[in-house]
Amino acid sequence: MKIGPLNIPIKEDFSFKSILDFEKTPLNIFLAVSVLAMLAMFAIGVITYLIHGHHAYGVTREHPWGLLIAVYIFFVVSSTGFCIVGSLGDVFGFKRFEMISKRAIFGSIVTIMAGFAVIAFEIGHPVTMLIYNVLTPGLTSAIWWMGTLYGLYLTFMIIEFYFLLNNDMKKAKIFGLTGLLVGLAAHSNLGGVFGFLNARTISNGVYYPTYFILTAFITGIYLSFIVMGFRYKLNFDQKVKDLLEGLAKIQGLLIAILFFFMTWKLLTDMYGGMPNRAEVAHHMLHTAPFWAEVIFAMLIPFLVIVKDFGRSPKLMVFASLIGMVGIFFMRYNLVHDTQVKPLQMMKLTEYQLPPEWIEYFPSATEIMISLGGLGLCIALYYVGTKAFDLDESH
Amino acid sequence: MARYGMALDYKNCINCKACEVACKEENGVELGAEKHRIWVGGNNPDGQWPLLDIASAAFMPSQCQHCEDAPCQEVCPTNATYYDENHVVRVDAEKCILCSYCMNACPYDARYVDDRTMTIDKCTFCSDTRLARGETTTACQNTCPTKVRTFGDLDDPNSEISELLRTRDHFSLKAHLGTNPKLFYLT
Ligand code: SF4
Ligand code: SF4
Repeated sequence: MKIGPLNIPIKEDFSFKSILDFEKTPLNIFLAVSVLAMLAMFAIGVITYLIHGHHAYGVTREHPWGLLIAVYIFFVVSSTGFCIVGSLGDVFGFKRFEMISKRAIFGSIVTIMAGFAVIAFEIGHPVTMLIYNVLTPGLTSAIWWMGTLYGLYLTFMIIEFYFLLNNDMKKAKIFGLTGLLVGLAAHSNLGGVFGFLNARTISNGVYYPTYFILTAFITGIYLSFIVMGFRYKLNFDQKVKDLLEGLAKIQGLLIAILFFFMTWKLLTDMYGGMPNRAEVAHHMLHTAPFWAEVIFAMLIPFLVIVKDFGRSPKLMVFASLIGMVGIFFMRYNLVHDTQVKPLQMMKLTEYQLPPEWIEYFPSATEIMISLGGLGLCIALYYVGTKAFDLDESH
Repeated sequence: MARYGMALDYKNCINCKACEVACKEENGVELGAEKHRIWVGGNNPDGQWPLLDIASAAFMPSQCQHCEDAPCQEVCPTNATYYDENHVVRVDAEKCILCSYCMNACPYDARYVDDRTMTIDKCTFCSDTRLARGETTTACQNTCPTKVRTFGDLDDPNSEISELLRTRDHFSLKAHLGTNPKLFYLT
């Protein structure tokens, strides 16, 4: 370890060369090339957006929120999830989970940064936002609270990570707890962004603000399996196995709760055929992304866990990759289904009858920026593993 | 200071769309079907052939309802959407960050993106055009051949609109949402 600027311990051999130096297995090379391709796509996407503005996106007057909002949610949910998992050890003191704390907290920092990178190109005027968020705050706006709290959260996470690197567990705990609370508040406000939409009966209400916390925890556990799988190249020693078994058991419980949440949400949506809400719920049941969400994010990982009560960590790494695909669909569905029902203002140009639905498909630019966000996230994480010692310190 | 509203004698509407054109012209609204502040909608007739209720197939001119409790204002993170001194719901382009939250929150599909400023635009009751010049009518009202629209001050008991609302039955769109629209449909 050498001590970098601001007293940050960085790895002895960290340099540009050490970043390029990785085991040249086919999988690693494939990953490296993919990440570079994604970063290139990010650049192309951003340039296209800067030239053409929102015309480069598939969004319309009726469907103003598109893929980038979904991807932003995907990343910040991942961040909150990592933060919850990281807190198990270093805030709540569960010894078994301590070995993942540093890695998870670092993960929470890179995922939220990727989220911010994506949303910066969805919001029309991000700089104006920074100014008027402070000068004329809209205190009744869930977006204001979400944005402000996430900004604070990122700060706390960075400070916590700093103390973790320096092995100052006491201070790490204080900032970890504060960061966790702020993060949870930010995250439920993100659910509130949808929950407050009186005009969109499918999303209106208390469901999303609470469900977001639950699904964040689930996402955090999937991601933990993925990063630990990579760290140990699937050769887990007993200590890691214990950790992963514990996480898998929690995950089993969480997914079971999510099944209840979703079932009751759908049943209450459909019950009595309330106009708009019931129609959208029925519509959802007939779309492939909904089933992708249920099967990938919930069913497959759940079956892998119940098979032997979470005792197959290797299989869980793969199940978690599938789970994350499902989580992506979960976010996409949330955004799309909120807007899918026309507002029925009887406009002749967009002639609307009840069985008609608002169409949206992401444009190439949106897809490139989104994949770019993923590339950015993986690249930052990778550089982090080269620069910092993310294993448990002794 | 006034509390502006509009009454619509919608059954008189003949779908000539002169108001849509006048609005675009007066307020310099961008061209293109998606870019509209106001619109003339059409109701499908109720009932099944041959028992159709022809009277129900009226044309429904509509626009921003200038809600008293506007969801678009509540959700705006920078207070770019605000109530002006005449209770007209306005957007300050300077402060709008184009988060599009208001587009999703408005139950009436009344907002769109102005590509020139990359901010939200919507009906202003001609506040910075005709009213600013001292006129007392909106462009849509002024041009309407069948006198569907009556614009005026709801707080002034002697205004034409107050008189209409006193003497005629009227309803508001999506009243159950509690937005308290200031657009009134006369029956
Ligand atoms: S109609 Fe829509 S845009 Fe107009 S005030 Fe109401 S919520 Fe706002
Ligand atoms: S798009 Fe503009 S006016 Fe609408 S909520 Fe966002 S900042 Fe406010």
